[in-house]
Amino acid sequence: MSSLAANSIILYLLVAVALVMLGLYGLLVLKDPIRRLIAINIMGSGTFLTMIAFARRQDPPDPILHALVVTGLVVAISATAFALRLILAARESREAAASGSTEAEDE
Amino acid sequence: MTVELLPDLVLCVLLLVVAWSALFASTRRDAMALFVAFGMIVALVWARLGAPDLALAEAAIGAGLTGVLLLRAARKLPVSSARRFDYRRHLGALTFIVVAVSGFAVSIILPSPADITANNIDSPVAAAMSDSGVSHQVTAVLLNFRAWDTFLELLVLLFAITGLRQLFPIEKESLEPARTWQLLVSWTRTLVPLLLLVGGYLLWRGSSGPGGAFQAGALLAAGCVMLRITGMLPPLHWSSFAVRGSVCAGTLLFLCTAVLTHSLGAGWLDYPEAHAGTLILMIETLATLSIAIILTLLVAGERKDLCS
Amino acid sequence: MNDALLSLVTPLVAALIVLTGPAMTPRRASVVVLLGSALSFAAALLALQTVTASGATQTLNLGGWEDGLAIRLRLSPLSALLLAFTALIHLLAGLYARFSRFASGDDFWVLSAFLHTALAALWLSADLFNLYITLELIGLAAVAMVALSGPKAYQAAADYLLLSLAASMIYLLGVVFLYSEYHTLDVMQLASVSADSARTRLALALITAGLMLKGALWPLHLWLPAAHAGAPAAVSALLSAVVVKGPLFILWLVWTEVAPADLAREVGPMVATAGMIALVAGGWAAMRSPYIKVLVAYSTVAQLGYALMALGLLMSWQIPQMHIALWLFVIAHGLAKASLFMAAGEMQGTLGTRRLTGLRGATQTVPIAMFAFAVAGGSLIGLPPSGGFLAKWVLLEPILSQPQNWPWAFGILLGTLVSAAYIFRVVVLAFDRATINPPDTRPHLMGHWLALLPALIVWGMALLGEQLIGLLAGGGV
Repeated sequence: MSSLAANSIILYLLVAVALVMLGLYGLLVLKDPIRRLIAINIMGSGTFLTMIAFARRQDPPDPILHALVVTGLVVAISATAFALRLILAARESREAAASGSTEAEDE
Repeated sequence: MTVELLPDLVLCVLLLVVAWSALFASTRRDAMALFVAFGMIVALVWARLGAPDLALAEAAIGAGLTGVLLLRAARKLPVSSARRFDYRRHLGALTFIVVAVSGFAVSIILPSPADITANNIDSPVAAAMSDSGVSHQVTAVLLNFRAWDTFLELLVLLFAITGLRQLFPIEKESLEPARTWQLLVSWTRTLVPLLLLVGGYLLWRGSSGPGGAFQAGALLAAGCVMLRITGMLPPLHWSSFAVRGSVCAGTLLFLCTAVLTHSLGAGWLDYPEAHAGTLILMIETLATLSIAIILTLLVAGERKDLCS
Repeated sequence: MNDALLSLVTPLVAALIVLTGPAMTPRRASVVVLLGSALSFAAALLALQTVTASGATQTLNLGGWEDGLAIRLRLSPLSALLLAFTALIHLLAGLYARFSRFASGDDFWVLSAFLHTALAALWLSADLFNLYITLELIGLAAVAMVALSGPKAYQAAADYLLLSLAASMIYLLGVVFLYSEYHTLDVMQLASVSADSARTRLALALITAGLMLKGALWPLHLWLPAAHAGAPAAVSALLSAVVVKGPLFILWLVWTEVAPADLAREVGPMVATAGMIALVAGGWAAMRSPYIKVLVAYSTVAQLGYALMALGLLMSWQIPQMHIALWLFVIAHGLAKASLFMAAGEMQGTLGTRRLTGLRGATQTVPIAMFAFAVAGGSLIGLPPSGGFLAKWVLLEPILSQPQNWPWAFGILLGTLVSAAYIFRVVVLAFDRATINPPDTRPHLMGHWLALLPALIVWGMALLGEQLIGLLAGGGV
């Protein structure tokens, strides 16, 4: 495996931190729950990128960090899937409630 | 600045730009599509950083499954009106990020750049590999050294699917229209056998090279989701024992292994050395089954699947 | 360790039986899960007995690998106590959910058993990444349980889940920075090598922020009232009694073991101040809330302030009394809050109102539930000889002995006054028999008595005071 220059690793670390911050900022300012979910996933990608960049400091890369990322990915996808379904269900129930109340008003 | 840095620089800029536009795209639908593209670039970056295991997992999970998930969500959501370009928001994000990243660089990286990239650590993993029963280090960490993490991770999947089952309380017919896109159907016919094949290969290969239960499970799930969406796969009824059994299979085998090794063997999850390889392969196979079916249900599960 | 593992496994086995077992009606599921909780409680008591008898903390390297490679589980008197406490709360909430008339949803059983497993795994773990997974497990189970109360709670559940996910990401990033510096995730190894450096500080700041958001510790508590008030009563009881204590446990672990002692001394006053503000601000919000369950939920924010204050003072003074006070608070609050939420649920259901004003004349219409509310509230205020009093006494003793510490005592006094105010507000309304709010249905006495049970236990804690203090007096872990 070709070794990666130290500067590249630092570059990736900086980008990882930038991704986390971007996600955090999005989480703070965005209102739409789906966009907020995307923001959280971008934070997650930033965190995982930090792990992989740190893992790359040694050659071959640190297998423990790689294994942690695999675990983290599965946790993230399960949570994301559940969150997305929950957001959709919340929206549906809100719409149902809204249409229910207008119907009641019509009567 | 050297030439070697150039490809990394390009990837990094791409990563940031796509992440940025995924967050602040003018319509929600654009945001979702851009996020899927972001997943693909992340997979590329990880391959570049010497993590093929993770690039595979990210491509299957991050781009594939999340993509399907988001696109299905987009279908259910009303089209949001395009938002005006809000320069304050972009400016705010830019300031926030520049301040945070430069703070990080000044306090952590600049004082000791050599320390950030120090690479002479004796990995305890390499020393213990011979007793682990497999020859690929990541698999050894996942299923032997840190098997408890993996066990809990299977529980995460189980919790998520049990949680999802709560979300269908009102008795109503599914609004899912029967129509499916013809192109999708024919593509699925071609792709799914390939996905199954690659998934099986990844599972088998996991003991000696990049791959393993999670990548395989995610790929299988992607295949099952496509089949389920196009209606080629009948609903997976939760009431059937086969479905519930395979949802719990990975956890059950893991738990039995833990209890048996504890009561008969050397200790909790302490595999007997002679059988470690076989045991890991068995656990991985059932874990793959559980992961595939749970992810399928999480992404494509409807009332028909989960509450009947 | 055997008993502790048994205590961890039994609820999981119960949940798996419920999930896969044939013809599993909610009734059968409740029997299986209650049996699991009872067995788990018994096993935890055995573990507690063993660990106090041997007097030493036991560790187990999972898989038999050496330190640094394996995930380590650790059984200390504290974790044994927390195992028993969690099992007890699950048993009480389960009994309430089984016999109360107000249903908690069919899947309550499997989810509560899952939650129990995840909490037990958290108390035993001594590995920062493993703790991250247990946090996620607890978060997912808790959100699913909030969603049990139907579509109207989905919005609160979704907000809770999003914040919880963001919080665990921040925590994980902190853990990664620690790992990148020290190449280990094991708490005990980190304790021996950690030093004060910029990266360690950043890591600890991230970990603290993530955990404070997860644990609804002031100022990151805003999600809690909607989530806790929206859930079914038995679920609210579990959420307030045990779920928010998980992040608090990790926070305590990180600051008393992983962080260098000097840094902890430096940060301690800030944490204690946040606790003091939580005490007053949470209490104030509780006092002004027009809804019964929101009042109880804000009171959780306030009461967590005591725990945070004890943690902050423990960090800055490093004396074992604060350790004792912290965990006595956690246990006393857990029991009292379980009782409060169940009583609130019963009153709310019977009187057909969510508003506080609907409680007029509750001493006449739902006397037992109201009695439970008042008794549990008495422990929150810290009336002797309740468990809450015991904890507050242990907390106040070292503060009062040094004149320069009296400002902290003033904070505690203020907090006590505010909590007395919101409890008495409810009690006064309940005694207003002039304009009684008539109940919708006849009170269902079984549920009311079961709501009273945890409150009686917390008053009984005083009888065990000496043993509990002795148990926790080992300090440290």
